[in-house]
Amino acid sequence: MAELESWLKEATRCLSKDSATQVRTEIREHYDSAQEAVIRDGATAEEANRSAVSGLGDAKAANRQYRKVLLTSAEARILGEGNWEARAICSTPWLKWLLAALPAAAVLAAVALFRAGAVAVARTLFLGGIATGVFFAAPFLLPIYTPWRGRVFRVAKWAALIALFWLAFGPDALKWSWLLASCLWLQARNEWTRFSIRRKMPVAKWPKQLYL
Amino acid sequence: MNFKGTLPTLILEALQQQASHGYRIAQRIKERSRGVLDFKEGSLYPALHKLENDGLLESYEGIENGRPRRYYRITQSGRAVLAKDRAEWRQLSRAVTTILREA
Repeated sequence: MAELESWLKEATRCLSKDSATQVRTEIREHYDSAQEAVIRDGATAEEANRSAVSGLGDAKAANRQYRKVLLTSAEARILGEGNWEARAICSTPWLKWLLAALPAAAVLAAVALFRAGAVAVARTLFLGGIATGVFFAAPFLLPIYTPWRGRVFRVAKWAALIALFWLAFGPDALKWSWLLASCLWLQARNEWTRFSIRRKMPVAKWPKQLYL
Repeated sequence: MNFKGTLPTLILEALQQQASHGYRIAQRIKERSRGVLDFKEGSLYPALHKLENDGLLESYEGIENGRPRRYYRITQSGRAVLAKDRAEWRQLSRAVTTILREA
């Protein structure tokens, strides 16, 4: 049993708690059947144990394969955090409406300031309004929760972000690209993790944040 | 024999007649290939999960000899993919056989 435990420990490395439990259960079931079959053929319990564990193959290779199809602990953490944020906003109606009203107010104020001649402030406010609209208001107001619409939303989100950066810095945008990269690396990492999670979960089980 | 990349198709084929659990799927593949296709069983379950994530298999809890087991069954999409894989494999196999005969 110690050999099986050590195999399982290696094979479930970095997997989320639920994924690890699932792997442990299925491999134990498999191990029991394999062991019984070898004992039926006349082997001793020790030989059967060795044969059942060696039949499973390399635990590190299995771990690499499991990490491609089951949630890792980092992915489970991101899912948990995202769910917490969504729950907090959805369970507080005024917060939801505030997130929707802020971008609209910022754009209206930008128009008013532009008319008053404060072009620089108006531009910043306008860009801020669009950015908060895309990132905070759209997920709660637009019907984007199908795989196809979600994909369109994500493309639009990144396109808007780059366009906003370009508008904000104008011809100096390339010179300041390090600023964009350092501000967005966390967002980009989350985007990559969500991409990975989307590949590991059937669409029917996707939480809302995976569409964003 | 190394049969990397064909395991998902072999799993679908093994499940097309009846639902089964992981151990029996592995045994069925080995028996039907008369021991030629021998693979490490630890790689079977990640492949099963991938097929399930892709909607080609469904899993459910079953009981065998009084013990709970996870059973897998093929879906309609799984059958369609299996038919396509089979046709592609036949075509590939014919092409390779033709080339090897010529050599």
